Amino acid sequence: MIIDVNAWTGPWPALVNVPCDVASVRSSLSEYGVERIFMAPLAAAWSANPHLCNPVVYEAAEEHDDISPVPVIDPTLSTWPAELEKAAGHRAVRMIKLLPGYGGYDLAGADELFKEVGRLNLAVMVQIRVDDPRRHHPLAMVPDVPAGDVVEAAKRHPNLKLVMGGASAATLREFAAQVRDLPGLYAGTSQVDGVDSVKMLVDAGIGGKLLFGSHAPVFMPAAAMARVLNDLPDDAAVRIMKDNAAGLLRA
Amino acid sequence: MTLASLRQKLLPDGPVLDIHVHPLNCFGSYGLSSPVEDAERLIAIACRSGVTRMCVFSLHETTPYEPTPDQCRFANDYVLRMRDAQPDAILPFCYVTPAFPDDAVAEIERCVGGQSMAGVKLWVARRATDPGLDPIMEAAVSLDVPVLQHAWLKSTGNLPGESTPYDVADLARRHPRARIIMAHLNGVGHRGIEAIADVPNVVVDTSGGDPESGMVEAAVNRLGAHRVVYGSDAPIRHFGVTMNKVLGAEIPDADKRVVLWDNALQILKLRE
Repeated sequence: MIIDVNAWTGPWPALVNVPCDVASVRSSLSEYGVERIFMAPLAAAWSANPHLCNPVVYEAAEEHDDISPVPVIDPTLSTWPAELEKAAGHRAVRMIKLLPGYGGYDLAGADELFKEVGRLNLAVMVQIRVDDPRRHHPLAMVPDVPAGDVVEAAKRHPNLKLVMGGASAATLREFAAQVRDLPGLYAGTSQVDGVDSVKMLVDAGIGGKLLFGSHAPVFMPAAAMARVLNDLPDDAAVRIMKDNAAGLLRA
Repeated sequence: MTLASLRQKLLPDGPVLDIHVHPLNCFGSYGLSSPVEDAERLIAIACRSGVTRMCVFSLHETTPYEPTPDQCRFANDYVLRMRDAQPDAILPFCYVTPAFPDDAVAEIERCVGGQSMAGVKLWVARRATDPGLDPIMEAAVSLDVPVLQHAWLKSTGNLPGESTPYDVADLARRHPRARIIMAHLNGVGHRGIEAIADVPNVVVDTSGGDPESGMVEAAVNRLGAHRVVYGSDAPIRHFGVTMNKVLGAEIPDADKRVVLWDNALQILKLRE
């Protein structure tokens, strides 16, 4: 079984002729053996109220047992406690997602949210980037979330299950020691690129903290698979593609 | 689906020629002792993703944006040593700078004419609209080899000498007999595809940027499969990640074979 911790559904302005509905994303992943999908709403990135975009993933979970909703929560909205409570009360929610780059807030301002997420025994993914800033629309440029801010949050909240999503290979190599040593800090593979890039992270001692993410439908599932499977033996690959996520997310 | 069958699904069903590869020593610290070791390790890594042959060009180990002619010669000598160690797998390209056109032409004559390099590589020293490229293109046409020109469209701003796809189209119109490979499909995006659509002597390679869904399909649909060629930009990018942009694309299997192998043979005028 493969667990994808970083899939999406919904519209993304830069994509052309790419089906982004739940059924299409699910089909594109099942074609490559993904049997558990943690799915967040893409529309939340550009919404003034990301909470309004979450129903699509809750509805997807009602229809499909293999989908776990990953609602996006914005700590600058006064409704975040209620939105978090709703997430915690859902049978299939194991993780929420923050999009600080698109929400325009600093992670230092999310400490109250982090405390509550930890108390509710959920995980939280902080999305470093959705796509390469060099390819953003020139009137809609969103800088990456500094990975160091995620590391600092992990230090402030040592019992929190915190996943760095969308970090590059270079970023993860830079922060490998912190990912290795901070017990609650994990990282997704969805934007790790370069030859041997995942293998290098395994060699750096963080193979037990890496989680497979496809970033579908923005990126191609096959490409996400190749970066893990082409370079690693079965045992190391299975940890990244299933075991680590199963342990962290009770999946 | 078993892990073994999934692994198989991510590999090509035939030979693959990667038209855009750099030595490991250009990017990252791999602790290499020689070009021979570089070639061995690069090929071993490529083989894991099913790449059988590759066009390799060095940008010099320090990757300067404005290389001197000496740095280009050093880079080319490095790649020639890689080729001599692994002649069946490595097809070297000659790296030159249009900032020194006379030196560039002499270097092309040395490397392509004298050492049978397979093509010419241009990076970011000058935009493709610069007249310094003209004698380089004439030399490439005379020696019957393609030119691979870097291109990107960065919303964060291109480097001063970094070509856009519009610059590449201008270059191709100035030199209609030249065979031009525009690098970085995922770096130039949909606007880049459109920029070269009516310039038949340009193909685009599949390298650059992330494995964004729909890009290979868009290129094949607009340009035709015969104008899209597999390139990885390894080691910056992963051979298998970029290859699976093609293998995972919603295009006919026959077109995938054209992109992964046939087109490169034709551009390079090679026989199987």
